[in-house]
Amino acid sequence: MRANVQQPHAPQDAQPILWVRDLQAHYRTSHFGVRRGVKAVDGVSFAVRRGEIYGLAGESSSGKTTLIKSIAGAIRPPLEIVGGSVEFAFLPGYGGLHRAPPVDVARIRWRHLSYIMQGSMNVLNPVRRVESAFVDFAYPHIGGSRKQFEQQVVAHLARVRLDPSVLAAFPHELSGGMRQRATLALATICRPDFIIADEPTTALDVVVQKEVLGMIRSIQRETGSSVLFVTHDMGVHAHITDRLAIMYAGRLVEEAATAEIFRNPLHPYTRHLISSLPRIGDDTPREGLGGSPPNLADPPPGCRFHPRCPLATEICKREVPAMLEADTGHRVACFAVNQGARA
Amino acid sequence: MNDLLLDISEVSKTFGRGGLLSRQKIAAVNQVSFQLAARRPEILAIIGESGSGKTTLARMILNIETPTSGKLVLDGIDLAAIRSSDARMAFMHKVQPIFQNPFESFNPLKRLDRYLFMTRRRFSRAAGEGAAETSVDDALQKVGLSLQEVRHRYPHELSGGQLQRVAIARALLAEPKLIVADEPVSMIDASLRISIVNLFKTLRDDLGISIIYVTHDLATAYYISDRIMIMQKGCVVESGDARTVLRAPQHPYTRQLREAVLLTEAADVAAGVSGMNDLTSPGAPERRA
Ligand SMILES: Nc1ncnc2c1ncn2[C@@H]1O[C@H](COP(=O)(O)OP(=O)(O)OP(=O)(O)O)[C@@H](O)[C@H]1O
Ligand SMILES: Nc1ncnc2c1ncn2[C@@H]1O[C@H](COP(=O)(O)OP(=O)(O)O)[C@@H](O)[C@H]1O
Ligand code: SF4
Ligand SMILES: [Mg+2]
Ligand SMILES: [Mg+2]
Repeated sequence: MRANVQQPHAPQDAQPILWVRDLQAHYRTSHFGVRRGVKAVDGVSFAVRRGEIYGLAGESSSGKTTLIKSIAGAIRPPLEIVGGSVEFAFLPGYGGLHRAPPVDVARIRWRHLSYIMQGSMNVLNPVRRVESAFVDFAYPHIGGSRKQFEQQVVAHLARVRLDPSVLAAFPHELSGGMRQRATLALATICRPDFIIADEPTTALDVVVQKEVLGMIRSIQRETGSSVLFVTHDMGVHAHITDRLAIMYAGRLVEEAATAEIFRNPLHPYTRHLISSLPRIGDDTPREGLGGSPPNLADPPPGCRFHPRCPLATEICKREVPAMLEADTGHRVACFAVNQGARA
Repeated sequence: MNDLLLDISEVSKTFGRGGLLSRQKIAAVNQVSFQLAARRPEILAIIGESGSGKTTLARMILNIETPTSGKLVLDGIDLAAIRSSDARMAFMHKVQPIFQNPFESFNPLKRLDRYLFMTRRRFSRAAGEGAAETSVDDALQKVGLSLQEVRHRYPHELSGGQLQRVAIARALLAEPKLIVADEPVSMIDASLRISIVNLFKTLRDDLGISIIYVTHDLATAYYISDRIMIMQKGCVVESGDARTVLRAPQHPYTRQLREAVLLTEAADVAAGVSGMNDLTSPGAPERRA
């Protein structure tokens, strides 16, 4: 196996296809008069280039899924976009899917943008056969005769090594790996410009996972799509992503080429994350981070990592460190790293 | 006192699948035997690809599934003889499950704190509202959460990882002798994963709880387990001391699993970086002129 660690795939200078600017997305709830605002995404900015696989990592409840939902326009109460903007090159001018007219969103969905949600059962309707998902989502975009369409679906399923018989199956009759491959086929059949995938292989066993990742990579190379790939699994990132952003408590704390993150992590949280990875044959005890993950209903002021950071100083408790370029293409939000860096 | 906490002998489970005409039989679990000693709590990892029968075996140990043949005895209780609800209660006091998908282990319409209090009421003799609050909070603290964070919340309001920690806290409330955890950390990030597997170690060492750890994460299995059992197509193909088996796998299937581990290369690169484990100094950008 060749891990990406040595080998970035995407062009370094390609134009962005997605811009996310200072995005803030909060959950606003009220239970029995107790109002709660969870600041799950709080000021996130980044851009994804054409033809790259951009990874997003972060601990559980750091806001990855919320960020993804906000970008994909899957916003339902109590989730609200409180500030900032999201812009796709193929849907300019609105500042986000949530602000675009429904007809425009329907036009780009699946054709330009597809979204593989955490837990693939969400896409496949449990009471309808797999085939109906293809007919409902992809047929309107692909058109032509039903016969031709069916042939195209069968050919596409073969790419992810699925037998045409899965079309007649109900989702629960398929194994997790088969379901995930069916979802992948659905998400890629219209050759979209942009694919968003939230933990697409997390439920799979290692052997199937490696196979599905290989399929995502080869379909992506063939279609030139961009992929925003979310997982907490650093091994998966090392294997498939070109660039990688690390999220902590609703904010990005570091972004660089994936190989660079593994070779030279700068942010104290990233350094902890990389050093906590267990390895077969290595008997040194590993420690999880001390302290609790921050409660996003009441996050710590200043740098949100400060209560758990061995390097925290006074300024960290008061001020929010900006994401600055510490090295070419390597952005970090940390006062200890960024002394003297430029915006 | 029984010498064996768990005694599984020649257990099999066959499922029928397919239509009426072309009915196939699938041996999900095929003649599996193993024991856990009562005196020496241990962590036993069960590893295998999906469909290899891990979950079916775990469900039989939890008495959710009945074996087609073979015998399971937990701490002197023959699982086949459990009939009354009292017997079932006594059984659940000894063994608790943790499932892979936390979203499926909770009723979406029920508040999590209620669920925890209900579990605690079911298993604990100690009465009193205050004592209940303390023990629920204690259990949540053990997994890095607090009652304050969970109070009034419904399952969909927590992230996957948070919910899994609530599930572990719930299992701890029963004060079991054995925890059967079916892929408990698949949804959880590396740092928390280490905290949770370290927590399993603490449960073993301090509370004397044995753990059956079903996973396909070979690295954490190596890290925490005493013994390991590799399953393929319902059969145990290799088993023994975890370190020995994973360092030098004998069976071709075990080797194949080892090769599919994605992290090795990346983690090797990271481990080769000097000072990586020194977290008391920041990373230094290599500024290019
Ligand atoms: N519907 C909701 N109502 C209120 N709070 C929510 C809701 N959904 C998520 N949250 C909260 O938002 C925060 C971020 O959750 P999110 O699901 O984005 O995390 P994540 O990074 O995807 O985690 P995981 O890796 O566990 O999937 C968490 O504190 C969570 O409890
Ligand atoms: N309730 C069931 N009905 C029919 N077949 C089943 C059932 N549960 C499991 N199986 C089959 O038994 C085999 C083992 O499954 P399982 O124990 O879930 O494996 P694992 O947990 O190792 O992924 C698979 O072929 C699966 O399809
Ligand atoms: S800004 Fe301060 S608290 Fe935050 S990571 Fe850097 S040193 Fe630690
Ligand atoms: Mg998520
Ligand atoms: Mg299973």
